Amino acid sequence: MKRLMTALLGASLLTTPAAFAQSAWTGGDGQPTTPLACSGESPAPEPGEYNGGTPTNAPDRKGKDIKVVDIPKLVGVGYFASTSSGMAEAAKELGSVAVSTDGPTRANIDEQITFIDNYITSGVDGILYAANDPVAIAPVLKKALDAGINVVGYDADAQADARQWFVNQALPNGVAKAMMDQLAKEIGEEGSFAIVTSTFTTPNQARWISEMQAYTEKCHPKLKFLETVEAQEDNILSFNQAQTLINKYGDELKGILGMTSVATPAAAEAVQQNGLCGKVSVVGLALPNAMKPYINSDCIQSTILWNTVDLGYAAVEVMRQVADGTLKPGDKTVKAGRLGELPIVNQSQVLLGQPKIFTKADINDFDF
Amino acid sequence: MRSRLSHTLGTLGQEILLVVVILALFAVVGSVNARFLSQHNLTSIFVGNAYIAVAAIGMSLVIISGNIDVSIGALIGVLAVISGLLATNGYPIWLAWLAPLVLGALINTLVGCLIAYAKVPSIIATLAMLSILSGGLITFTGGRWISGLPAGYQLAQFRLLDVPSPVWFMIGMTILAALLMRYTAFGRSVYAVGSNAEAARASGISHAATVVKVFAIHGAIGGVAAVLFATQLQVIQSTVPVGLELVIITASVVGGVSILGGVGTVFGSTLAAILFAAIGSSLIFLNVSAYWLRAVQGVLILATVLADMARRRRTG
Repeated sequence: MKRLMTALLGASLLTTPAAFAQSAWTGGDGQPTTPLACSGESPAPEPGEYNGGTPTNAPDRKGKDIKVVDIPKLVGVGYFASTSSGMAEAAKELGSVAVSTDGPTRANIDEQITFIDNYITSGVDGILYAANDPVAIAPVLKKALDAGINVVGYDADAQADARQWFVNQALPNGVAKAMMDQLAKEIGEEGSFAIVTSTFTTPNQARWISEMQAYTEKCHPKLKFLETVEAQEDNILSFNQAQTLINKYGDELKGILGMTSVATPAAAEAVQQNGLCGKVSVVGLALPNAMKPYINSDCIQSTILWNTVDLGYAAVEVMRQVADGTLKPGDKTVKAGRLGELPIVNQSQVLLGQPKIFTKADINDFDF
Repeated sequence: MRSRLSHTLGTLGQEILLVVVILALFAVVGSVNARFLSQHNLTSIFVGNAYIAVAAIGMSLVIISGNIDVSIGALIGVLAVISGLLATNGYPIWLAWLAPLVLGALINTLVGCLIAYAKVPSIIATLAMLSILSGGLITFTGGRWISGLPAGYQLAQFRLLDVPSPVWFMIGMTILAALLMRYTAFGRSVYAVGSNAEAARASGISHAATVVKVFAIHGAIGGVAAVLFATQLQVIQSTVPVGLELVIITASVVGGVSILGGVGTVFGSTLAAILFAAIGSSLIFLNVSAYWLRAVQGVLILATVLADMARRRRTG
């Protein structure tokens, strides 16, 4: 009986169709795409109507010294230490902003809310946040707006009407362009590649994959997509999946795209352990620290992310102008110190720019 | 006598069946894409999943003794992080390899005592331990990965006779555990406690002491699995691998260990772990979504348990 059942199972497993035609890249979300121009600047999209909130009876802060508190998802990690250093840099340049970072020691929304609440009570001019949860954080941010405090988000947004502006580190089409341009640069315009993602239904990754397909068809039409494999956000599984891709495609596989900060270093490890450094490229999103071993040993050329120092810097620049009233609903750009003019997108967001490609030349300057 | 014979054949049958299914899988996937059978791919199938097979050895002992442990995934996650922290903070590498074994045994001795002496059901005791370990891990590490591991720490990347060390660990520990279970008084007492606790007690076997020992050994084996897990890559993920405990329990059960206790061998669980690894790899070779792996595991566990219960009704 048992043997029969297991045999049947084995048989049903083995008769699974060996391959099926794919028009769309697997793992995409199938939603409309807006690929950027292949080279040069893309025209900035219309920002649309402002949908952020407004502080109630905010005092006139124009040109005055302001006290700003930054409450990231958590403190004590390299990522937010580097955004803090960018904030300090902007504050020093401006001279009229006092910014301090404070927040929970773990990424916990309840603790973050308590921190924000306490700062509303103690009285500040501005609050910067990176939300642990977009919905749960909204009421306390609205409370800050009601108390006349300027509220600006960065890194992780809240509901739009709970803050004034949000500094967005990267748009999906920007991520897609950075990934595919870098891949084509490393494996050539006619190379074959596979993707390691978290799951086919993870919103960010699915969005990026769809944008990557659209951009590739437009700008790198001869790149050959092989397949997408899922690896959750699991280190060892990502490694095993990348390993299996290498074994399956052999010499045909020239590049692996890592869609998560877990998958990219794991794919790099698989390439290194197989002695394929320089033969198989890994291009993907990852924290610089996780990629340093592979980039410093010249096995992998790059890792893609945003410049977190610039992200913090832009957040304080935006805060200053929001307090001054020089950044208003309807504006299409905002001046952000050494970063120049940043475009306004998605109604009430400031776009930091294109993702940053970290290479051996500068990766060791970053610690997160 | 007859029931004992069919019993022996029953469990042995499960192992033979697993071997047949594994070979059939290799043959079919290999005929679709010959690269599946390359030495390289076979090695990756074994190496990437050996820690699961190792952990399933301990789990088999626990289940044979009539208990269950749902905290093993969290334990492996915690022990891997401890090992990595010792290595990156300048402690000798041998200590970073050994500490998880000792700590795993200590932690699970505590769990075993809760079950054996305080009479907390094993599912509850280990569920509590799962929360404590996984919550503690996230609070302690803040989700930061451990990187900058010293040279020579990557035990799982060592090779002997061109065979990677995880494969040696998997084979060696399976044989050791099989000998322990078959030829020692302890092994027999584990089966006795799991199949009929009352009879075991009547024949002078200490139920409590046996359960504590089983959990202590399981913890130490979990420590070995944690070291293999931690030393495979150059970074250690500081979160508990999602669903790892279920994969390990499934390997034991599909390997022929009865979820009701008293029956099973560690050879079966190791073969089942290999089968899952091979299925996972073959799904990519056959262009099938990885989600099917979970579905297949679910079906296999259900089929095995149903068959086990049917057999018990027939023979018992």
